[in-house]
Amino acid sequence: MNSLPLDGIRVVAITNAWAGPYATQLLGDWGAEVIRIESIFRSTRYVARADESTLSRNRSQRIFSWPNMEPGERPFNRLARTNAHMRNKLAITLDMTKPEGIEIFHKLIKKSDVFIENNVPITMDKFGISWETLSQTNPALIMLRMPGYGLTGPYRDFRGLGSHMEAIAGHTLIRSYPDTEPGQQPDVFPADAAGGAAAVFATIMALMHRRKTGEGQLIEFATAENFMPLIGDFILDYTMNDRLWAQMGNTDRYMSPHNIYPCDGIDRWIAIACRNDKDWALLCNTMQRQDLIHDDRFNDSTNRYKNRDKLDTLITEWTKTKVDEKLMHELQAVGVPAGMLFDDQNSLEDPHLASRDFFQELTHAESGTHLYPGIQFKMQNTPNEIHRAPAMFGEHNEYVYKELLGYDDKEYARLEREGHIGNDFDPSVP
Amino acid sequence: MADIPLTGYRALDLTSLYMGPFCTRMLADYGADVIKIEPVSGDPARDEGPFFHDENHPEKSGLFLHLNVNKRSMTTNIETAQGQNIIRELAKSSDIVVESFKPGYLENLGLGYEDLVKINPKIIVTSVTNFGQTGPYKNWEGTDLTLYAMGASMKTSGQEHKYPLKIAGRIASFQTGNLAATATALAIWNRELTGAPEHVDVSFFETWKGAIDRSTNDLVAYSYTNESSKRQWNPGMGIANGVFRCKDGYFHISAAGAIRFPRLMKMIGKGKDLIHPPWNNPNALNRPETLELFDSFFIPWMLEHTKTDLRNMCQEQGVLGAPINTIEDLLNDPHYIQRGYWQEIEHPETGSVKYPGFPFKLHATPNPERVRAPLLGEHTNDILQNELKYSNDEIQALQAQGVI
Repeated sequence: MNSLPLDGIRVVAITNAWAGPYATQLLGDWGAEVIRIESIFRSTRYVARADESTLSRNRSQRIFSWPNMEPGERPFNRLARTNAHMRNKLAITLDMTKPEGIEIFHKLIKKSDVFIENNVPITMDKFGISWETLSQTNPALIMLRMPGYGLTGPYRDFRGLGSHMEAIAGHTLIRSYPDTEPGQQPDVFPADAAGGAAAVFATIMALMHRRKTGEGQLIEFATAENFMPLIGDFILDYTMNDRLWAQMGNTDRYMSPHNIYPCDGIDRWIAIACRNDKDWALLCNTMQRQDLIHDDRFNDSTNRYKNRDKLDTLITEWTKTKVDEKLMHELQAVGVPAGMLFDDQNSLEDPHLASRDFFQELTHAESGTHLYPGIQFKMQNTPNEIHRAPAMFGEHNEYVYKELLGYDDKEYARLEREGHIGNDFDPSVP
Repeated sequence: MADIPLTGYRALDLTSLYMGPFCTRMLADYGADVIKIEPVSGDPARDEGPFFHDENHPEKSGLFLHLNVNKRSMTTNIETAQGQNIIRELAKSSDIVVESFKPGYLENLGLGYEDLVKINPKIIVTSVTNFGQTGPYKNWEGTDLTLYAMGASMKTSGQEHKYPLKIAGRIASFQTGNLAATATALAIWNRELTGAPEHVDVSFFETWKGAIDRSTNDLVAYSYTNESSKRQWNPGMGIANGVFRCKDGYFHISAAGAIRFPRLMKMIGKGKDLIHPPWNNPNALNRPETLELFDSFFIPWMLEHTKTDLRNMCQEQGVLGAPINTIEDLLNDPHYIQRGYWQEIEHPETGSVKYPGFPFKLHATPNPERVRAPLLGEHTNDILQNELKYSNDEIQALQAQGVI
């Protein structure tokens, strides 16, 4: 009842943006010792300094949020966006652009089980990092590479974020508003969520193989290819029927009503979906509109889909004076799939999440004590807790350089002077 | 070549529709023997399209075919005593049971985790549900839309003055299954080391509440500031960010920030302007008047270039960009053809159809051959006869009673 599945597995990571950091977050959650390599010459924390532009920009979107909106002396250690994924990890600095940096990196690889990176392949080429070179240092290593497009093919060295992979995969188009140009929407990053989760699955598959055979291996994880099965039903509709779907908004091909409806208050909404005629009858009863159950326009899902605009107007008339949360309970009480659109406050105050101890209080040396979203799933016989607060920039240099790699104080001081070891970014970094 | 990692592992699949089948599909992709238990009427996913040539037929659902490759199908009515016996017997020889029933349902049938661990002390049971095994919402209904509304950052998706947007299709459910596969793999790994059984509790709600896809960022930001994130047009990455119309369609460009913005200016032939205001001042770049000025030459410039030109230029200059593809564009994309990503799979009802390929490549082991999704109950007799050693008479009796 006390060990974690990945206790004893050491993971070295050079990750960016979301997919890579999410993979290592999950590995850390379940016991791996994750060492994230950063550099004082290049920010992987979205922001090194807080200036007028970061302070004023888009407050409501929370791109740059600090405790009480005070960036403090080292804003990168207080940034919500980074601290959201740095729990259960160690953070060190190392300058891989110098030959000694690569040497140190190989020393670390020698003592590690897994190396994860999600960079465009050419970046690793520049450092001379490949399966060929790393497997010479450590043949039992598992090297997980997560570029957008793979290690071969014409797009090998193309750069992109999750949103670009979603664009290539045809997802951006179908998820847009039906009545505006396809781009009129913000970025959402399901490809990154899918990538991080499946990358951990991939790592465990390679660990299983290593346990059987003793051999390490390269895993080629092209994040766009991993995402495509998540729209597999649309892909098969094209390969079977030549059908292409345009922007769908919140409609569904097989369910109606299937939309979100405004409720009482500012920007309050409820999602309602009827999977079948039974759900529809239950909804009509709750609306006290039994007359609609057998109305020719709405009596089966085909007709409801055809007349969905009319249907949405009718439902909106009913929901717009209701309180979203109360209505959600009322509909769930009779078994109609319904859910209010949560904002962040709703989540923090939600009784279900509270009963499952989803949020966890952590104390962070430079950010103070706050609640954080916790472990995403539960294992009955294993601890499910965040065991380490978000790692600050360079926080674990001493442990890794001295204890793990055996550098003495003198060498440590030299590496500090030479720009490998530090707790702050170089002044040149924006 | 060594075995595929999950070769020799058996997963008993008691799931239907989206989340559970996506989970067991991952297990099957990497070698597990997945026995899919369907009710006698079939997995309800068989009744959901897209159907091959739009014919509503249980063997022609593209959704079902996609989610159930490499599995075997056995029909069993688990609400009968004989059906429950079959499940118990199969659980004895299984490593993993994946189920997606309402919490308590299997317990009531005597098939819950506590029951199964008695007959197989090393069993891993993965429950994939809407809200998890405990808590006030545990019995609530949900669909991809309503659960995404509650669980994910839907409220911040879309334009400020319009309504919030979902992410289309069954993506959010599939991702829950994807995470469930990871959770299951962690439990398998743990069992390898310790021999311990496990009950894994994965929910749609927490999968998305804890998703890196904006949710965790927003929740930590709320913890830090007591302010909820809001929907806002242009997500806040600043200038030159988003989807723009181009000569032959739409193109997604992300060139905000101190590193990429100058590259984009060079790309559009404005490199020498970078030394002049407002372009030389990072604070000025996010002001609305600068954005307007930028758009006044950027939008017409985009309209003069094709998706292919833009993609190539972006990659040369190190600007992030990608075309807004249709699925047709995707299927014709030379990159994926060259990588051999698509897989042709034969099926008696559909002929040969292209499917999405493997999510990742393990270079030390081959991917298993993709076998089409099973017909309803295709392997019932084989499993009963050859693995559970039922006699012909017994099988016929089960059939007559509607158990199989």
